[in-house]
Amino acid sequence: MRQPLEGSQAIARAVVAARAQVVAAYPITPQTHIVEHIARMVADGAASCELVSVESEFSAASVVLGAAMAGSRAYTATASQGLLLMGEVLYNIAGLRVPLVMTVANRALSAPLSIWNDQQDSMAMRDAGWVQLYCSDNQEAVDTTIQAFRIAETLEVPVMVCVDGFTLTHTLEAIELPEQEVVDRFLPPYRFARALDPLHPKTFGTLVGPEYYAEMRELHHRALLAALEVIPRVDEEWAAATGRASGGLLRMEGDSEARTGVLTLGSIFGTLADAREVYADCRPLRLVHLRCFRPFPAAALRAAAAGLERLVVLERAISPGAGGIVTAEVRAALAELDRPPQVHGFAVGLGGRDVPLDLLPRLLASLPPRPGPFRIFDLDVQKLPEGGS
Amino acid sequence: MTNETVSLDNLRANQPRFSGLTSGHRACLGCGQALAARLVLEAAGPDVMIANATGCLEIFTTPWPESAWRVPWLHSLFENTGAVAAGMEAALKAQGKSTRVLAFGGDGGTFDIGFQALSGMLERGHEVLYVCFDNEAYMNTGIQRSSSTPHAAATTTSPAGRARMGKRHLKKDILSIIAAHHIPYAATASVAYPADVRKKVRRALALPGPSFLLVHSPCPLGWGHEGALSIEVARLAVETGLFPLVELERGSVVGVLPLREPKPVTEYLKLQGRFAHLFADDPRAREELAHLQALADANIERYGLRATAGGLDTESADTVRRGGGQWA
Amino acid sequence: MGVIVTPGGFALPGTATAFKTGTWRIERPTHVHGVAPCHGACLAGEDPQAWIDRLARGDAEEAWRILVAANPLPASTGRVCPHPCESACNRGGYDQALNIHGLERFLGDAALARDWAYPVTSPPPDAPRVAIVGAGPAGLSCAWQLLRRGIQPVLLEALNQAGGIPRTAIPPYRLPRAVLDGEITRLLATGIECRFHERLGRDFSLEELEAEYAAVFLAVGTQKSRPFSVEGAVPRDLHYGLDLLRHWLAEGAVPAWDEVAIIGGGNTAVDVARILRRAGVRAVHLITHERIPARDVPEHERMRAAPDEIAQAVEEGVIIHENRMVRRLILRGERVVGVELVHARKLREGERLRLHAFEGTESVLKVEQVIPAIGQVVDEAGLEKLLGQREFLRIDEEGRLAAGSRLFAGGDCRPGLGTVAGAIADGARAAAAIARLLGRAEAASARGPVVGPSRLNLHYFDHAPRQEASVVPVAQRHGDREVQEGLEAAAAAAEAARCFSCGNCMACDNCFTLCPDNAVLKTVTPAADGSHYVFDYDYCKGCGLCAHECPVGYITMVAEE
Repeated sequence: MRQPLEGSQAIARAVVAARAQVVAAYPITPQTHIVEHIARMVADGAASCELVSVESEFSAASVVLGAAMAGSRAYTATASQGLLLMGEVLYNIAGLRVPLVMTVANRALSAPLSIWNDQQDSMAMRDAGWVQLYCSDNQEAVDTTIQAFRIAETLEVPVMVCVDGFTLTHTLEAIELPEQEVVDRFLPPYRFARALDPLHPKTFGTLVGPEYYAEMRELHHRALLAALEVIPRVDEEWAAATGRASGGLLRMEGDSEARTGVLTLGSIFGTLADAREVYADCRPLRLVHLRCFRPFPAAALRAAAAGLERLVVLERAISPGAGGIVTAEVRAALAELDRPPQVHGFAVGLGGRDVPLDLLPRLLASLPPRPGPFRIFDLDVQKLPEGGS
Repeated sequence: MTNETVSLDNLRANQPRFSGLTSGHRACLGCGQALAARLVLEAAGPDVMIANATGCLEIFTTPWPESAWRVPWLHSLFENTGAVAAGMEAALKAQGKSTRVLAFGGDGGTFDIGFQALSGMLERGHEVLYVCFDNEAYMNTGIQRSSSTPHAAATTTSPAGRARMGKRHLKKDILSIIAAHHIPYAATASVAYPADVRKKVRRALALPGPSFLLVHSPCPLGWGHEGALSIEVARLAVETGLFPLVELERGSVVGVLPLREPKPVTEYLKLQGRFAHLFADDPRAREELAHLQALADANIERYGLRATAGGLDTESADTVRRGGGQWA
Repeated sequence: MGVIVTPGGFALPGTATAFKTGTWRIERPTHVHGVAPCHGACLAGEDPQAWIDRLARGDAEEAWRILVAANPLPASTGRVCPHPCESACNRGGYDQALNIHGLERFLGDAALARDWAYPVTSPPPDAPRVAIVGAGPAGLSCAWQLLRRGIQPVLLEALNQAGGIPRTAIPPYRLPRAVLDGEITRLLATGIECRFHERLGRDFSLEELEAEYAAVFLAVGTQKSRPFSVEGAVPRDLHYGLDLLRHWLAEGAVPAWDEVAIIGGGNTAVDVARILRRAGVRAVHLITHERIPARDVPEHERMRAAPDEIAQAVEEGVIIHENRMVRRLILRGERVVGVELVHARKLREGERLRLHAFEGTESVLKVEQVIPAIGQVVDEAGLEKLLGQREFLRIDEEGRLAAGSRLFAGGDCRPGLGTVAGAIADGARAAAAIARLLGRAEAASARGPVVGPSRLNLHYFDHAPRQEASVVPVAQRHGDREVQEGLEAAAAAAEAARCFSCGNCMACDNCFTLCPDNAVLKTVTPAADGSHYVFDYDYCKGCGLCAHECPVGYITMVAEE
């Protein structure tokens, strides 16, 4: 049954429906509502998890690490500064190959300080060894969260579910919450083969010398590559159970005959889809939502780019001194095609700047014949000082 | 006497105490921390899981593919042991299991970088026994000073020289900070009194809620003495009053191991290379010796360590018994 | 090698045992059985540390069995031995020496009360037979040790009862007859043949013994008093102290004297003094050139009698004249009416000690009897050829009378002794030599060094007072009533618990508890070297903590080759 729910509340319900036994979190805007909703459910007896209100984000990640290692399904959520603070733990969790799910309520990074939405935070953690999935709307956030537990526990790698802060977390949508029985059938009880167990004691977190480190990392790399097969399969299973797919590795909309495509991650996909409807001049246009950023779905992307002459990458992050992050990976993946499309890369909506509907036509109209250097598309040069940096 | 020959492997497998830490670990000769970890596990038994901080104990017990641990054990990072242990405890509670959670960390990982996580764990009342093995410096990384390093001790980052007499600052009074959390049980212990260590572990595990144990563990390499003297040095730390053995419940002192006849601090300091500069013919050295004696005297006064009639004191607490001590 | 990486790099439990840290060692701990000082000092060769250990563990009977392996008469020696073990005890320098003497008596008395079996089986009928002349402590000890080795001893005793000096010359208030009789009877019942009224020279000769037996042990003691005269004068009715003692013990009577002077500073002199007091002699003087033992009295000046006996004698009214000798007898006719005393001391002259009298210090003591107790010598009857003009039989370090002969001797009859415990040691030594002679292999007992207090870690011992049994007050010392009481069981247990166990494992668990590498393993049954622990040299890094913290000095670090 569809009901109007705030994004955070919906995600909270999904976590509870997934029967997470231990939830640990430290408050940071714009993640707060998720944990507050879980707390309310616990207080009202609607959820029976251990809610640990930790004293920092690295403790939040550490608590859920301990909990998952001790044999309980565990969950945390954070954003921005908190994600960076727990950075050391994230690498540790992934390297230890522990199944965990975390919601990242994407938010810009200090400095300058900003509480508003962009994706610099999760991009900064792209090499931590986690699966990274992006949601374009709150229904996807709910479905992806539940799928994330299944993916994590199948592959024994942690999964980061990225949800645009404020834009998704604090907006109401009509959400179809899955029935508990459906979730229970989809998500078996947590069974971690390497859990800490006095009857079968093992030692985790050992010192590994140069003779073995590369092979350990290779195992990890392979597990993430295996996700390229697991993620779409899990999505299909979910679609079969609920009638809703979440976009697999990536999702396409628009005109199959289009020669121009726009690729993005997260909620601005919806803006672009609406703009395409409104501005007829933009058509034909192919829109690609890159749901899975880690592992990077190079093959699926090449297939999605088939027939395109131009692909515009709109990302909500920038690597200072280098330029695009998603852009660079897309370009590298598509270069393997016999006739790769031109890849134009832009950053938009940094620091929570609104992406209006008319950005799409302006963007398409301004595309140069050949891709220029990566730039912030919605930059206002009036606000910049003369010369200087 | 029997003529039967028992193989060493057979003997190893049939020892009367639970051994959670096996031989083959790479600790230095006479390592106080290895001994302390052994004693704690003997008292805690096999139904435990351990969260261990980065440090000497973690490094010398887990060179992959080998491990000296026989209980479930997880090392995550340096600063998060309290939190990892809290997570284990929350999970076990959610699962309704009775396995106990132990957190092991050195003084660096407890007093300094891991302090926040410890405080949070205590404040939230997780039923974890946190054991800090106090060798008074960052030993694993090469003997750098921590906030637990005693005043005037020389380390690589607080050396003695023309302008300095070792560490300027005082040893952090971690016990007072722990006391301020008002947890059910906190205590200090020393490897020189092994029966006392085990007793305190059992006592901590018998009380509900979080508990904290600070175990003084000499480091021969870092403190500058022979491995054979580790126990003697640890004993003198207690007998001089520099490392008082006390027990607190809910922040109040409920028991101490009294000193029948406190020894002068020089007895303790002179055995260690890290205090060698205090025995130079130098007015600064003499002043520091007097300072350390004053600190010891202040401890004795503050915790009421002068022996009272009856009960065990530092002279009787380790009195040997023919045929071994009573062992539960 | 075939090592396969694991997800997350987890390791399996206890796999560190594949790494043998023993290769790090430059020195290794070893168990060395040190000789406890009590063992080193015991005249009879007992190892008190060994039997006290068993007593401390609550097994008194086993303790007694260990004790009698060296000394079969503990109830007796536990009453009369001068206990040099106690003077040597390391605990003496810590608080108070162990009451080993009292514990030995406790065990001896317990064996009597509960009739514990001597741990030996009778020799087979075809066992070699050895003759022993004299059933005193030396003879009984030799017989016992021969029996333990499967050799049949045959005791030939001149009197009608065994016991020697303890029977004939030690008063019952020191050594009750019931105790002596009880112990000897039980000992003889183990299969030792004993024939009474067999006197050497009168009833058999040495040559006959040598012909009939595989070996002969002479334990004839010193039956003759050393002849006494002062400047050539000998009183007419001279009573030697030893004879008086024997007479009193046998008949219960002494002449009715009023005031007498006993000359001598040994146990015989003191015993005579005390029985004379009991018999009613009003004034009993003891004249000795030595002094009553005290801390500031050098060894060579001390009276040889046991300090306890001297103290009790003084309590009972014996008057001791220290540093005096009799210069002249004051005679009327041939009867003594007094003695002239003079100050005298033994002074060191180079290697020797010479007795000096000091002119100008003379005094007169009016006494009606002078009773010499200045020592005994061997009665030459039947031994004329062996003895020659000498006072004692000469033996080598094995107890043999001559190289290659089958004749041995020991006890008071050879020079330098005078204690029951020493006699027991002599008997044991000769028995071992005889066994070797008869082809029975004897394990060489190589002794390590004596463990001094610096080898101990005294920190692990708490102070505790010495347990003493009480002494009967003077007013109640009547007749044969034993003056020194024995320890109660609880006191004996408490005293045994005070033993430091010098040089020998007491299973305190220190090494087992304190090894940071789990390289000391505890054994269920004692290991081959008698300890309760085994070093696991696969992992021992040689840090030396165990050796340093061993309270008893049982662990020594030796360099690795």
